[in-house]
Order: sequence, then C-alpha cells, then structure tokens
Amino acid sequence: MAIAKAERLMNLALCLLGTRRPLSKRELRDSIEAYVEAFGPGNGATGSDDSFNRMFERDKDDLRELGLVIETVESLDGEIGYMARRDSNRLPPITLDAEEAAALGLAAKVWQQARLAGAASGALQKLRAAGLPEDVDPYGSHGALEPRIPVHEAAFEPLMLACRDRRPVAFEYRKATAAHPEQRHVEPWALECWRGHWYLAGWDRDRGAERVFRLSRITGKVRSRGGRYTAPVPDVVTVRETVAGWAGEIADRSARIRLRAGAGYPLRAKATSVRELGGGWDELEIPYGHGLDAWLVEFGPDVVVLEPAELRADVVDRLRAVAKG
Amino acid sequence: MAGKPVRPVNAIDQTRRMLSLVTYLKERPGARVEDVARAFGISEDELVSDLDVLPMCGTSFRGGDLLDIDTDGERIWWHNPAALAAEAAEPLRLAADEATALLVAARAVSTLPGLRESDRQALLRATAKVETAAGEAAGASSRLSVTFESEGGVFADVDRAIAERRRLWIRYYSPARDEVTEREIDPIRLVSVGHTYVEAWCRRSEARRTFRLDRVAEIRILEEPSAPPEIELRDLSEALVQPAAEDPEVVVEVGPGGRWVGEYYPHDSADELPDGGLRITLRTPDPASLRRLALRLGRDGRIVSPAELADSARQAAREALAAYDGIEVERTARVAEGGAHGPQAVHAVPDGPGDGPG
Repeated sequence: MAIAKAERLMNLALCLLGTRRPLSKRELRDSIEAYVEAFGPGNGATGSDDSFNRMFERDKDDLRELGLVIETVESLDGEIGYMARRDSNRLPPITLDAEEAAALGLAAKVWQQARLAGAASGALQKLRAAGLPEDVDPYGSHGALEPRIPVHEAAFEPLMLACRDRRPVAFEYRKATAAHPEQRHVEPWALECWRGHWYLAGWDRDRGAERVFRLSRITGKVRSRGGRYTAPVPDVVTVRETVAGWAGEIADRSARIRLRAGAGYPLRAKATSVRELGGGWDELEIPYGHGLDAWLVEFGPDVVVLEPAELRADVVDRLRAVAKG
Repeated sequence: MAGKPVRPVNAIDQTRRMLSLVTYLKERPGARVEDVARAFGISEDELVSDLDVLPMCGTSFRGGDLLDIDTDGERIWWHNPAALAAEAAEPLRLAADEATALLVAARAVSTLPGLRESDRQALLRATAKVETAAGEAAGASSRLSVTFESEGGVFADVDRAIAERRRLWIRYYSPARDEVTEREIDPIRLVSVGHTYVEAWCRRSEARRTFRLDRVAEIRILEEPSAPPEIELRDLSEALVQPAAEDPEVVVEVGPGGRWVGEYYPHDSADELPDGGLRITLRTPDPASLRRLALRLGRDGRIVSPAELADSARQAAREALAAYDGIEVERTARVAEGGAHGPQAVHAVPDGPGDGPG
C-alpha cells in the first residue's frame, strides 16, 4: 500500500523544520521513505524524476497552505536547497485566559464548510500547542448556544480563494428574474453572509461597475482568469447595504394600508402608526421599500392598500394574476 | 452536545493537526488520550489514528530518528523526545486560511445581539490577540464576513431561561397561518444559522419545535422549571426544517421570476422548464400554509397540485380584489390596455363575503 499522504507531508515538514542548513531536493528525496518507495533513490535516477518533481512541488504547496514558510536557497555551487526557518515559522507569543480560550473554542466550531472548519480547528490546535488553556469545558456555560455559518453554495470555496489571492474569475450567473444564465467576468473583493446566504461583491468587468452577486445564482464552475485587477479595491466593501436594499429593508417612502384586526403581525411590528378603524379593521402606516407589493399580496383579503396609488396598482396587478390562475 | 461538527478526513487537516500534536506532546509526557483528544477537538479514534502515523515520521527515516511515540490506549508516551529538535517542535504560526477561519467566525459570534456582555468582551479580547499573533496572515480575513441576526432582548431572555432551566411563555407568530399564538416552551438550545432560533419542547403540541427569534412577539420567563424530555438533538448541518416523508406533496411551476422558490423552500426536486422556469416538488405537513406563496408568486408561478390549494389562492385573490372595487379607477383603465383579463377579473367575484372596508 502506498504511504499515506499525511505521513509524507508530515515527514517533509519535519525535515524542513528540523534542518539547520538548506536541504537539496535529492537529500529530501532520500530522507523521506514515501518518496523512496514511490520513486527510488535520487541518485542513479530513472525516468521517475518528473513525477517526483511534480509531487514534491505539490507537497510544498500543501505545506504552504498550512502556513509553513519554506525558503528556497541557492548555494554557491548553484544547488537549490529548501528549509523552513525557525524565526519565520514560529507563532509569536500569545497568552489567552480561560474565558478567551472558551470564546475562541465556540468560534472555531461555527463553520459548516469543510475547508474553513478544518482551518479553524487547525488554528485552535496551533494555539493549543502554544499553551491555550483547556481545562474548561469548551464554552461550558454556553453549551446551549450554537451559532453555525452555513455554506451550501458550491461557488463558495473557489470564490473565497479568489478573494484571498486577488484572482479574477469568470462564472455563469443567472439573475433573479432571468431565464438563462449569462457569463460574467469579475474581480472578486469580498464575500459576505447575511441571513444565511452568501454574496460576492466585486468589480464586474463587463458592466465596468461594482456589483453584488448572490452565490446561489452562480451556475456551473467558477473559473480563474489570469492577470491582475484592473479596478482599485475599495478599503471598505459594503455588501449588506446593497442586499438589504434588494430585500426591501431600505425604505425611503411610506405606505398606508388597512389590515384586518388580529392579522398581519409582522406588518404591525414594522408599522410607524396603527389606528383602529372599527368594524374589524385597523389602519397602518408602514415603510415602503422594494418588494413591499409582493409581501402585501401574501396577506390576501386581510390587507387593502390605500396609498400610494402606485403600490395599490402593483398589488392589484398581482392579485389579478393569481385570480385568473 | 449536538450534532457532529463537519470534520473531513483529509491529509492537509491531519498533517496540520499532527504538527501541533508533536509540539503539544513534547511538553506533556504521559498525556492522557482522553484529555488530548478533547484539547484538540477530535475523537479518541482520530487521535489514535494520528498516533499510528507519528512513529513513521521523523527528520530522516534513514537516520533512525523516527518519533518513538506510542500509547497503551490510555496514556501517550514519547520515548525519544530529543529526536525532534527544538526548532521543529515550536508552535507554528497561523496560516492565512486558519487566521481567516478563526477571525471571521469570532467576529461573527461577537455580533450576536444578546450575547452576554462578559462573553462578548472575552471574544473581542481574544480576537485582538489572535489578530496580533497572526500578523500578515490576518490580512485576508477582512475579505469574508458573516452577520448573525437575532432579536437581542428575546435572545437574552432565552439564554437566561436555558441557563436557569426555566420555562418560557411566548407569543409566537406563525407565517403559515398568519396568526400569533401563545405557548409555553421548555428551551433546549439557541441556534444561529443566518437567523437565530430557539429549539424547544413545546408544551402545547408536546413536540419538539424550532422558533425563530424575530417571530417572537412577546416573551416572559416563568417560575416553573423547564423540563424538556430527553431528545436527541439534530445535526445542524441539515436544514432546520425537514419535511417528513409522509407529508403531502405540493407541485409548483414557476417562471424565471419565481426561481427564488427553489432557493428558499426545501424541495424534493426542481426540474428545468423550457421557458427558463422550474417545476418544483416539495412536501409540507400543511399545504394550506403555502397559500401565501401562491399569492406572492402572482404571474411568476402557480400551484399545479393539490387543486384545493390552487383554488384557495384564487379565491383569496378574488376576495382581496373585491375590496378595491370602487377605489380603483385609474389603474383599471390602464390594465385594460394590457390585455383581456384585467378589469373583468375585478368584478368576477361570485361569492365574496363582502366584508371589505368602505
């Protein structure tokens, strides 16, 4: 059976961390059983060099993902050597008390996305190795609180990496009301999760403007594009305001409606004024933002829009569409 | 505690864990398997599988300096700690992804309204220290952010009731029925997944129920002790509301403008339609609760089955339109230009109750 990848990576990491001088590729190949087993020893090389080189490069990349800083050093006689220096890989001193440790313990558990869940646990384990207190039951007093960050969107991971590495991407995006997806070229800035859904903010190269995308509407694969960003990345990216606008949370006007007594609690909760009309009806003043018409229609005959006329017309339109079913 | 956290078995995660493990074990000869597993947030089985790999690792397998680590199942012994130079055993700096994952999560939790102030302060202090220790690696964490939503006051009361094991009285809004009902609940845990929910044993229905905090119209902590029956907590990686297999089926067809239904409603299937729409099959214990959906969809979709549900939506729309009779002049004319259906529909109310305003 081939030697497990974790064992190979672990050996490579220990060799690079333990050495006081740069180790050549050949030395590393000879020192790590997994390489010897798969490719034979480094001298008297056969045609397996290319596959060894590919594996070695991938392994170094994997270790860099884990945070290892691996230096490439060229010696006087031109040989390339590798080492992970102590100063560049050491965690700076950090002291956390039991309460702070418990709080981080709770935070480390919230990701429901494999890569970030693994990374968060990894961070906590590194801190643990550095002496993070552990005698308390992780968030014992708060066993009843369980925040979770949901990630159901397949586009999340590639976009997270693209934001991290500042890599332009292309994807097919189907707008909320469009029948077919359309290709978009985006310089991704930031991802934000609001009300359980993920959104991407970035520079839309085709539109030449900042845009916000909902990840669940990305169809197919997110592909990386070469090259650099063409537009400056703003210091502060505000996804939430844009999305809140879509959700009708930003209201610049108000509407007057009649509401059947006892019905429509959420409308009452938002109302700026409520007046009893008698005969089983109340009159409410409510904020009027995007999407209010669709929401009001949900209440069927329990709501009558009084003004503005535009909202009333939109609601009547919608009701007619349902009535003719 | 609750459902198992997501914990994939992959080489990267295992390698990073083992690197921390050697640092940790070097300082603690004879550490107990149970304690180490807890400190690392892994099962004892996972730890034991790491301990199987470690004796194969070292700075050179030829040099005979493999790590001589073994366990009797209870304690862990490292017989040659000198095999690993001090350099190789120091705590490692955080990787960019690690810093991002931990910092984004910590910032998100600290935004939870209603979180106890002492806990929030501890979290903020810890976040600042981790930011400092992570250095440059913390930079990319600003490119991800998460906001949890919850009603602070309600959250604080539920949190207190859970801590003090007391029953709660709530007035709760049910959108399916558009009604507010009173109930007594024995709270079990608070769950934040976008919105914040309390999972509780509902004394009115004698069943487990999940209540969204922003739908709690009123809340009081009662003197009675909370006594939820022992129930198995659900895995939170699944959707919070899972329809049961025996629930009646509802079929909805939506046009392109109604595709959001597929994003918001858990469903069995969603088939593409030629016009860019979807045919969605879902199950619900109470199909009547979907009347709201049918009304909201308007011309963007319709209920295919059950027929009673489609009828009740049509009926509700006609009743609603009847109320606009007489106050709706201007628009009637405008819509009439649009097609044959408009104005007639307003008057085609065969048996409206006529209890509209005015």
